[in-house]
Amino acid sequence: MKIAPPTVRPPALCMKRRWASLTLTAWGVCSLHIVRGPRASAKGCDLASFELLEPRSLGEAFALLDSDDPAVRPFGGGTALMLMMKAQIFKPVRLVSLRLLGGPLHGIELAADKSAFRIGAMTTFAELEHSPDIRAHLPVVTQTMLTLANVRVRNVATIGGNLAHGDPHLDLPPVWTALDAKVRIASKAGERTIPVQELFAGYYETTLKHGEIITGIDVPVRPKWTSHYAKVTTRAQHDWPALGLAVSAQFDGKRINDIRVVLSAAVDRPSRMKGAEAVLRGAEIDDAVLSRAADAALGEVHIESDLRGSADYKQHLLRVHLGRAVKALSPRGDQATIQRA
Amino acid sequence: MAAAIGSSIGKSFARLESRDKVTGRADYTHHLRLPGMLYGKIFRSTLPHARIKRVDTSAASALEGVYQVVTIDDIRKVIPNPYYGPAFHDQPILADGKVRFAGEPVAVVLAFDKRIAEEALGLIEVEYEELPGVFDEVEAMTSTTLVHDELKPAATFPDLAHLKGRKATNVALDYKLRRGDTERAFAEADHVFEHTFRAQQVMHTPMEPFVSIADFKDGQLTLHTASQGPSFVRIEIARLLGLPENRVRVKVPFLGGGFGGKLYIKLEALVTALSVIVRRPVKIALTMEEQFFMVTRHPCTFTIKSGVTKDGKITARHCEVVWNGGAYADIGPRVTQKGGFTSAGPYDIENVTINSYAVYTNRPPCGALRGFGAPQTAWAYECHTDLIAQALGIDKIEFRRKNMLREGRPQASGTPLRDAEVERAMDQVLDRLQWNKPLDRGTGRIRRGRGIAIGFKGITAPTTSVAIVNMYGDGSCGLYIGTVDMGQGSDTVMAQIAGEVLNIDPTTIRVIHPDTDVTPYDMGTLGSRSTFHMGNAVRAAADDAKSKIAALARELGLPEGSNVPLSELLRRRYGMQAGNIIGTGSFIPDYEKPDTETGQTTKGTPFWGVGAAGAEVEIDTETGQLTILKLINVADVGTALNPMAVRQQLSGSGIMQLGHTITENMVFRDGQLTNGSLADYKIPSLLDMPVEYINEHVPNAYDKAGPFGAKGTGESTSIALSPAIGNAVADAIGVQIMDLPITAESIYRALQKANGTPLAED
Ligand SMILES: Cc1cc2nc3c(=O)[nH]c(=O)nc-3n(C[C@H](O)[C@H](O)[C@H](O)COP(=O)(O)OP(=O)(O)OC[C@H]3O[C@@H](n4cnc5c(N)ncnc54)[C@H](O)[C@@H]3O)c2cc1C
Repeated sequence: MKIAPPTVRPPALCMKRRWASLTLTAWGVCSLHIVRGPRASAKGCDLASFELLEPRSLGEAFALLDSDDPAVRPFGGGTALMLMMKAQIFKPVRLVSLRLLGGPLHGIELAADKSAFRIGAMTTFAELEHSPDIRAHLPVVTQTMLTLANVRVRNVATIGGNLAHGDPHLDLPPVWTALDAKVRIASKAGERTIPVQELFAGYYETTLKHGEIITGIDVPVRPKWTSHYAKVTTRAQHDWPALGLAVSAQFDGKRINDIRVVLSAAVDRPSRMKGAEAVLRGAEIDDAVLSRAADAALGEVHIESDLRGSADYKQHLLRVHLGRAVKALSPRGDQATIQRA
Repeated sequence: MAAAIGSSIGKSFARLESRDKVTGRADYTHHLRLPGMLYGKIFRSTLPHARIKRVDTSAASALEGVYQVVTIDDIRKVIPNPYYGPAFHDQPILADGKVRFAGEPVAVVLAFDKRIAEEALGLIEVEYEELPGVFDEVEAMTSTTLVHDELKPAATFPDLAHLKGRKATNVALDYKLRRGDTERAFAEADHVFEHTFRAQQVMHTPMEPFVSIADFKDGQLTLHTASQGPSFVRIEIARLLGLPENRVRVKVPFLGGGFGGKLYIKLEALVTALSVIVRRPVKIALTMEEQFFMVTRHPCTFTIKSGVTKDGKITARHCEVVWNGGAYADIGPRVTQKGGFTSAGPYDIENVTINSYAVYTNRPPCGALRGFGAPQTAWAYECHTDLIAQALGIDKIEFRRKNMLREGRPQASGTPLRDAEVERAMDQVLDRLQWNKPLDRGTGRIRRGRGIAIGFKGITAPTTSVAIVNMYGDGSCGLYIGTVDMGQGSDTVMAQIAGEVLNIDPTTIRVIHPDTDVTPYDMGTLGSRSTFHMGNAVRAAADDAKSKIAALARELGLPEGSNVPLSELLRRRYGMQAGNIIGTGSFIPDYEKPDTETGQTTKGTPFWGVGAAGAEVEIDTETGQLTILKLINVADVGTALNPMAVRQQLSGSGIMQLGHTITENMVFRDGQLTNGSLADYKIPSLLDMPVEYINEHVPNAYDKAGPFGAKGTGESTSIALSPAIGNAVADAIGVQIMDLPITAESIYRALQKANGTPLAED
C-alpha cells in the first residue's frame, strides 16, 4: 500500500479533490458511532467532510474497509492522518476507527513465561512509555519514547498506525526491527504474521494489502540482549532524524555473539545492515572492527541528500554513530538518546 | 545621568493583557466573523518566473458553493491601477500577466464555506510561458533576466523619485555613503583584508498567520486586519480606491506576533479589492505554510574590505552590500539604506565607502524583519573584526577598543554617536563571560571556544507618532494610540508613561487599540521606534492633559497646587459627572536628510540601538555538532521603563536571532521553496536554548531625547548575536564560518576543508 508522503507540496498543487458528504451506513446503531458529520466541520474547520465510523467488531471493520478506494482507511490515533488531511494531501471519504475494537487490538501482554510481549495495535505510545513490564524487559522502547514527539502526540498515537504509516523517519520501526519483533496482520481472509522489516516496501510504502489491518506486534524478550537507539538530528534538536540507528546485541563477555543493526531515516525504509552485522558478529569491539563495520554499512545502503544533510555528510554520520552506538551497548544496558548530529 | 524614577517608571508592571491572553479572552482578527462574510482562498503560481497565457477559472466557478473566482481582470474594473507597495508601486494585487515568484497569488476563490473555496482551487488551470529566473542577489546585479521592466517608485518616499522610469536593471536602489578618501587610505594601509559573508533567507514565523477582513459598503471601507501599521494601511488603501482617508477605517486588535512582517500592505489590498467587487465582507486567513510566500528576510551578500595600520588602527573600510529583495520591493529599499548606513560597524574610521543595493530576484518578497538589515551586516563586520585581529595577532578586545566609536565622534555618515553605551555593553558581556578567566578548551574531539561581538543600528527617520489622552468625567483615563501591541508589551509601557505624568496607577489606564476612526496617526509599530516616538507623544499628550487640568482648576478659582480630584473638578464645571479633558501630543525627531551622493548627515538617526553579545560554545569536531554553553546579550536600552518587559524583549529577540543563526533557512531549488512548513523549516525549540542564557541591559544608561531617558529595545539583541556565535565557533575550531546558518554540517565541512579533505559539494 502506498501512502502520499507529507512532503512539501508546491504552492496551489492541483490535485483532484473528493467531496464527500455524510452517508449513513446501515450498521446497527448500537455498534456504530458516527462521530463527525458536516455540521461539526462547519465550525470554522478547514477539513472537507467525511465519515468517521467506529465499528465494535473486527468483522464490521473489515466490511467497512472493504473498498478499493484509497480514501477509505483505518484510523488509529489519527496523528499522521490529520496532518496529511490538513495539508490536503489525503482527502478521506471514510475513516474506520479501530478505537472500539476490544480484545486483541488493546493491551500490553507479557507471556506467563516472560518470553515475549503481545502488544495490541491500538496501544498508545503513552501506554508503552508508562508500562512497568516494558520498562523492565524492553527498556530501549521506554527510552525511545522520550526522544519522540511530545506528550500530546504520545497520548494518542498508536503503534499500529505508526507501523502502517510507512514513514522512514519514524523512530519505533527500527527499534522493533532490532528487537526482532513481528507484526500481526488480519483481514477477512485470516491472519498472517511477518517480521517488522518485511512490512516496509519503500518510502511511505508498506506490504499491507487493502482491507488488511495491523492487529498487534509480538516482541520477544531476549534477556541476554542489550539495545541502543540513536536518533541523530542535525538542525533543531527536535526534528525528524537525519538518521535513526537501532542496535541490539548479545554479548559473550566482550565478544559480540549476535547483533542486529538497523538504519532508518537516511534510507527509504528501516533497513537491517547485514554486512555490518557480519563484521561485528563474533568480534570484540575495537576501533578497527568498528571501522570495518562502518565500511560494510556504507557499502550496503544508499543514502541521498535531503534537507537534513548532504549524502556525504550523512554517510559520515553513519560511520561515527554506528561506532558510538555499538560502543555504548554492552556496559550500560539499553539506551535511546537524541544525538545532535 | 540616572533616570528620574517616579511612581511608574522603572517598575516591572505585569502586562495589562496577561489575564485576557492566558484565559483566551484577548481579541484577534482570526476570531472575527461578520454577517454575510465570504472566505477567500488564494491560488498561487507554481513557477518562479513566467508569463501567464491563460487563466481558466470556469470549472472552479462552476463548483457548487463557489461564489466567485477573481483574477486581476476583475480587480482592474474596480481599481484601475492595481499596484501597491510602500517604496515602489510594483506589486499587483493579483498576478498581472506575469508571475515573479513561485507562490505568488494568481487568483482567489470566494465562497461562504472555506473548504469549498479550497476545493475549487484545484479546478483552476493556468497556462504559463516559462521565463528564465534569477535567484541569487549577486547574479541579479548583472543578469539580463529582468524581474521588472521598469522601476516604479512610490510618491510617498521623495528620496526615491530619481529612480522613476529606470529600465533594464534589477537594482531597485543603490545607497551610497562616502567619507574621506577611501582609495588613498587603502593605498597607504599596512594591511588590507577582504572577506565576503552571506546571510540566508528566513521568515518571521508569527504564530498568528496573516489575516485581514474587508467590509466595503456605502462608499466606505472598514478593514479588520492583523497589521503593525494601521495608519499606513489607511493611506495606501485610500490611494488605491481614490477615497479620502475618512472613508477608510482600519481596526487592529492584538497581534500574535509581527516582527516586521505585518507592516505596510500585505493582504489588505487584496481583501479590499474583493470586498469592493462582491460588496460583502471578505476574509482571507493564510495558513502557516502560506506565510513563506508573503514576506521574508533579505538574504544578503556582503563583501567587506578594511585597511589597517601595523598597530591595528582601521583607516579605511569599503562595504559592498547586496540585498536580495525578492520579486517585490516592499520596504526593501529602506532596509538597504538603513542596513547600509551602519554596515561599517560601530568603529571610528576616517575613510569609508558604502554601496548598498536593493536587488530584485524571483524569490518571495523580502521586507522588514526585526533588526532591519542590522543583523546581516553585523554578521559580516564583526566576524571580519575577529579575522583581522587574529591575522594581526592583536587581542580581539583591544582591537575593538582601539577602533571603537566613542561618544560624540562622528559615525560614517557624520552623525555623532550620542547616548550610546557601546563600550559598557561590551564590558558587561566580558564580565558575564568571565573573559579574564582561562577557558577550558576541551580535549579529544571536543573543542570549546568563546567569542563576542558588538553592533548598532540606526532607526528609521523621520517618523511621526500622535497620541491622545482622554480623561473621563470620573477621572479615569483612556489612552488612544496607534501603536499595535503584538506581544512586546507596548500597552503596558505606554500606560506607565501616561500614569507617570498624570500620577495615576498605570494598571487603571485603558489603552484603546488602533482604530483609525478613533486613534490618531502613527507611522507604524516597527524598527524599535514605539517606546521612543510614541512614548514621547504619549508623554506630551499627558503633559497637555495635565496642564488643561491645572487650567480648569484655575478657572474654578482653586489655589495653585490644590489636590481636588479631576472628577470633582469636572463635576463642578459641568454640574454633574460629565465632560472630558483631552490632551494631545505628537512627536517627530530631529532629522537631517542625508546627502544623496555622500550619505552625509549630522542627524541620521533619532537614537542608536546598541547591542553586544557573547557566546561560549562546544563543538564535537567528529560531527560538527554545536552546543551553545553560554549566550549573553547586553543592550543599551536607555532607561528601562519596565525592566521585566525589557528582559523579555531582549530574550525573545535573542531566541529569534538564535534561530536565524543556527537552525532557520529557507531552502530553494530552481526558485522553488523546498521546506515551506514548520516540519521542515526549523525554528528553535526549548531544547535548542543555550545551557546558560543571560539577557541584561546596561544599568543607568540614559537617552536624553527619549521619554524618561528610554529608547527602543525590540531589536537590540538581534544585532550582535550571530557574529558572537560565529566568532566563538571560530575560536573553538580555528575556522571562520562565512555563511549563515551555522549548522553541524557547515561546521564539519569547514573543518574538513581546513584539513584538506573536503566533502563533496552538495
Ligand atoms: C507533532 C508530531 C510530532 C511527531 N514526532 C515524532 C517523532 O519525534 N518521532 C516519531 O517517530 N514520530 C513522530 N510523529 C509521528 C507519529 O509517530 C505518528 O504520527 C504516529 O505514530 C501515527 O500513529 P497514529 O495511530 O496516530 O496513526 P494514524 O494517523 O491513525 O494512521 C497512520 C496511517 O496508518 C493507518 N493505520 C492506522 N492504524 C492502522 C492499523 N491498525 N492497521 C493498518 N493501518 C492502520 C492509517 O490508515 C494511516 O494510513 C509525530 C507526529 C506529530 C503529529
